[in-house]
Amino acid sequence: MVGTPVLFVAIPLLAAFLIPLLGMIWKELVRIVPGLVLIYLMVLSVNLLNHVLVNGPIVEVIAGWAPPFGINLVFSAFSGFLVTLMVFLGLIVWIYSYRFKRNVGFEPAKKYFLLLMMLVTGAVGIVLTGDIFNMFVFIEITGISGYALTAFYTGRDSAEASFKYLMLGSIASTLLLLAIMILYSQLGTLNMAEIATKIHTVKPAYKVISLILFITALGIEAEIFPLNGWAPDAYAEAPGPVGAAFAGIVVKASVYAIIRYIYTIFDISGAYDFLIIIGMVTLIIAEFAAIRQEKLKRMLAYSSIGQMGLVLVAFGFGTKEGVFAALFLMLNHAIIKSLLFLSGSYLVYNSKDKTIAEVNGMHKFLPITSFLFALGAFAIVGLPPFAGFWSKLSVLTAAADSHMLFVMSLILMVSVVELVYYLRVVNRIYFFKKEESVEAKKPTFNALIAMLVLGALILVIGFYPDVITGVIHKASADLMDKTKYINDVLSIKQ
Amino acid sequence: METFSIIFAIFLGGAVLTYFAGKLSSVVQDILFLATVLVPTYLFFSGVSIGSSMPFSLEGISLLWGVNHFGWLFSLIVLGLGSLAAVYSVGYMKGKERRGYFYLNFVLSVMSMLGIVISQDLISFFIFWEIMTWSSYLMVIYSGNDVQRIGIKYFVFSAIGAYAMLMAIVIVHSVTHTFFIEDMIQAYGQMSLQLQIWIPILFLLAFAVKAAMMPLHVWAPGAYSNAPMAYTSLFSGALSKMGVYGMVIILVTMVNRLPQGILFREVLAWLGGITAAMGTLWAIKQDDAKKLLAYSSVAQLGYIIVGVSIGTELAMMAGLFLAVMHALFKGTLFMVVGAIEKQTGTTNFTEVTGLIRKMPWTFFAALMGIIALAGIPPLGGFIGKWMLYESLITSDHYLLVILIFFSSTAAFLYCYKFLFGFFLGQEEKEWAHVKEAPATMVVPMVLMGIFMVVLGTFPGIVLNPINNGLMDLGYVDSYKHLWETSIIFNSWGDHVILQPILYSIMGIFIFFLIFVLWKGYKGTRYVTTKDISSSGEVPKEDENLTFSVGFMQPFMRAVAPVMRRQMDKYYTGFANGLEGLFDFVRRIYTGNAQTYAVYVVVFIVIVLLFKDVLF
Repeated sequence: MVGTPVLFVAIPLLAAFLIPLLGMIWKELVRIVPGLVLIYLMVLSVNLLNHVLVNGPIVEVIAGWAPPFGINLVFSAFSGFLVTLMVFLGLIVWIYSYRFKRNVGFEPAKKYFLLLMMLVTGAVGIVLTGDIFNMFVFIEITGISGYALTAFYTGRDSAEASFKYLMLGSIASTLLLLAIMILYSQLGTLNMAEIATKIHTVKPAYKVISLILFITALGIEAEIFPLNGWAPDAYAEAPGPVGAAFAGIVVKASVYAIIRYIYTIFDISGAYDFLIIIGMVTLIIAEFAAIRQEKLKRMLAYSSIGQMGLVLVAFGFGTKEGVFAALFLMLNHAIIKSLLFLSGSYLVYNSKDKTIAEVNGMHKFLPITSFLFALGAFAIVGLPPFAGFWSKLSVLTAAADSHMLFVMSLILMVSVVELVYYLRVVNRIYFFKKEESVEAKKPTFNALIAMLVLGALILVIGFYPDVITGVIHKASADLMDKTKYINDVLSIKQ
Repeated sequence: METFSIIFAIFLGGAVLTYFAGKLSSVVQDILFLATVLVPTYLFFSGVSIGSSMPFSLEGISLLWGVNHFGWLFSLIVLGLGSLAAVYSVGYMKGKERRGYFYLNFVLSVMSMLGIVISQDLISFFIFWEIMTWSSYLMVIYSGNDVQRIGIKYFVFSAIGAYAMLMAIVIVHSVTHTFFIEDMIQAYGQMSLQLQIWIPILFLLAFAVKAAMMPLHVWAPGAYSNAPMAYTSLFSGALSKMGVYGMVIILVTMVNRLPQGILFREVLAWLGGITAAMGTLWAIKQDDAKKLLAYSSVAQLGYIIVGVSIGTELAMMAGLFLAVMHALFKGTLFMVVGAIEKQTGTTNFTEVTGLIRKMPWTFFAALMGIIALAGIPPLGGFIGKWMLYESLITSDHYLLVILIFFSSTAAFLYCYKFLFGFFLGQEEKEWAHVKEAPATMVVPMVLMGIFMVVLGTFPGIVLNPINNGLMDLGYVDSYKHLWETSIIFNSWGDHVILQPILYSIMGIFIFFLIFVLWKGYKGTRYVTTKDISSSGEVPKEDENLTFSVGFMQPFMRAVAPVMRRQMDKYYTGFANGLEGLFDFVRRIYTGNAQTYAVYVVVFIVIVLLFKDVLF
């Protein structure tokens, strides 16, 4: 054993508190320490994931109280996969923003990295925890750092975006707490495994209402239509790497929470079809809205929402193929959408309104960034031989296996829409005349590294998807096996 | 088979190396590019034998690459035309910008087309199909003209087709649980009638888009004329044939097994016929050689579609023979236009005239191409047309014969316009400086011209592989004794003796040649455009008096009612309607936090109201 799951929460949280203090010693430490923490967590999560894939899940008990009384953390193939993904993205965002924020001075940088650490803590905590109230706490941590990061540029617009996020976020917390209260009042326990064993004793009305409240609350964070009003503004006004972190980390954690409730905790079969319905609606509305956007990051935000809708649809099939497809899609979306946000924010770096028209002719000035953006655009619409193709193929295969031909044809039609708006932007970058007023900003060295790593991953997964599919297959099998999860948690005695 | 891996490694590695070699020197880049196309071509034809295959697996899906007779026939088109067009491109791209970009996409296109014909499973087929689509898309937008309209139109149509195909693929997979084409064909017989009808439709949608069949052809004129000519020769010559390739497989292996009474073939054949007729009419109307050839491509593909969708053995052969011929002559003609564009800077008939003395070799290639296109003996186009007519008549499609006959007769008009407009007529001072194109451009064109002559006399060279390919797909060979030694002096087809026909046509031709030469020799007087009598008026300097202006006006007036309805307008209207819908959807996000909070409440209320239905 190289470490325990509790380190994933403890270390970044500790680092977040230490960052201001370390900054007093040497200002550069503010930038270095988060990186060291994330590298350590990356190594740890890969090691643990390897261990878990062979030996089965690790259940960690906090403070010596065995479940169902104490809080426990579960590092299984499924949650481990997501944690690794999140930590990896955190690391990429750190590499990208290491010097990106140097110009902004010490104070903002301190806050930025502190909040980034908090964000990672919260998101990883959501995925690892085995206790619904503990999950609520982590959702709050994630949310609060998210609000603050949205308002990073302390302008009028970012303050407004942050306020919208805060407002909807508070509604989400209220609803979530209400849902938890209903369950607790009926069952007297907060442990997920314990609830799962007893859920059939709850009266259907209570069960359904608490599920609806859960889905609404988490749906706000997971950008489900029509609960996602905050998302486009937040993505557009937050700094580029924060957009990547939202798409790659925060939303993934919220989707995880929804899936955990529907797959493990509740036993309502209609919930799967409900996932397909809300997923499809989210996908269609978001992609339709994206095509008419004028700002680049807003377009990416809507595209991100749409992809999350597709993930929910894939989870909604409820089959092993569906879960596999959804996880694959989450992985690809995290990689590709991050690349798009990271490269996109350089394409509109110096422009005032960040509109799509201002990326015209940028390829002459930012050849590598433009190329990576184009690569990301090709990958996310699912053109082979790039990464996005395999996940799209597995979604469609899963749909066909579940005999959802109508859903499948809708997904494909929406894909055409998606294709159009991405190609329009890529065409602008490469074939339009540059606007005189906009000055290109060369990416810093470390930002380039971060983007190139993501670009390389897209190609590697595209040409040889087997590097990752083995892990995803195990992760999806792990999620499908509800009884094993319950047994693993409840068999712990300490 | 290791050769497959080596071939594709060379293609991919070479494409990337060629792209970056531009930083070193352009000569190195040219050489690398040629090597990247020619070496795999050599390896393929020397190292890969028919029947060889390579199974492997990716993402838990077993895949299979292999060569059968039918695929080999198309690989001949792809690699043959690909190599010649590659040599041509080196000359064509000299001094142009974005050479690396051009070469990269050229190689990727050739690679993906070869991949399509050797794919024995649907997944690699689809992957190569999509690579072909986006690499050709990148070529269409190469010039940067009107990329948002022409480029995206091409990609959207291709994507709709490709996604239809993808849908069919996953449906087949959900029934058979494998992706092998072989298994799909075998399982097809046991599927429900509904699937039996829908799967071919979905596949044919993809193939019809690539083969530019009406009403899915609207992308073609823009895309063909917008891509650089060196690529368009491959685009129209080989890439569109991938649609034909897929169509033949689907028609033979699936549609043939459908119960009687489902008029698949009839509908397809009529669409092909209409494509041929309308394409021809539109081609006649064009003043730009690129556009003319683009529409002519659409029309010619119409003939091919008619042939393969009639589906008797003779019709199939006619279609496939025409496909090979079309690759040759349309490849040549686009190269000719490219050469003229390079030397004069324009491709408009109303501007360039009288190039015959300046570009004699190009003229020779153009002449061969035009003769083959028009279907005049002794070139190969005649053979294909003849077989097509015969197969239509023997299978009782008399109305279609009339339609095809009309369009191939009307095709003479644009053939004439092309040849006369560019090469004959008065020599203008403006073009006195024009010289013959460089050797790298002329040699491929002339070579292809010679091939066409050879194929006209010895059609067996191509008919034999076609015959083998059709046997691969399950046809019973009833003409074998004819193809083995087939030359035009044999009696063949339905035992029609071609010899007298050929001789009489050649006799008439020679008679007229002598007559014209004799007449012309006596009264030759060189004139320029301004040397005209015009009722006492002196034409102004800037007036365009080239004879090509308004060349076919009476004819166009006669057919105007047919051409008034354009598919393009309907599509544009539909797209505009969609944009309106998207704009409406966008307004759901008002930007007001209170609205968003209301949405949350509404969501909860709706879900609570319908909770009994939902959960």
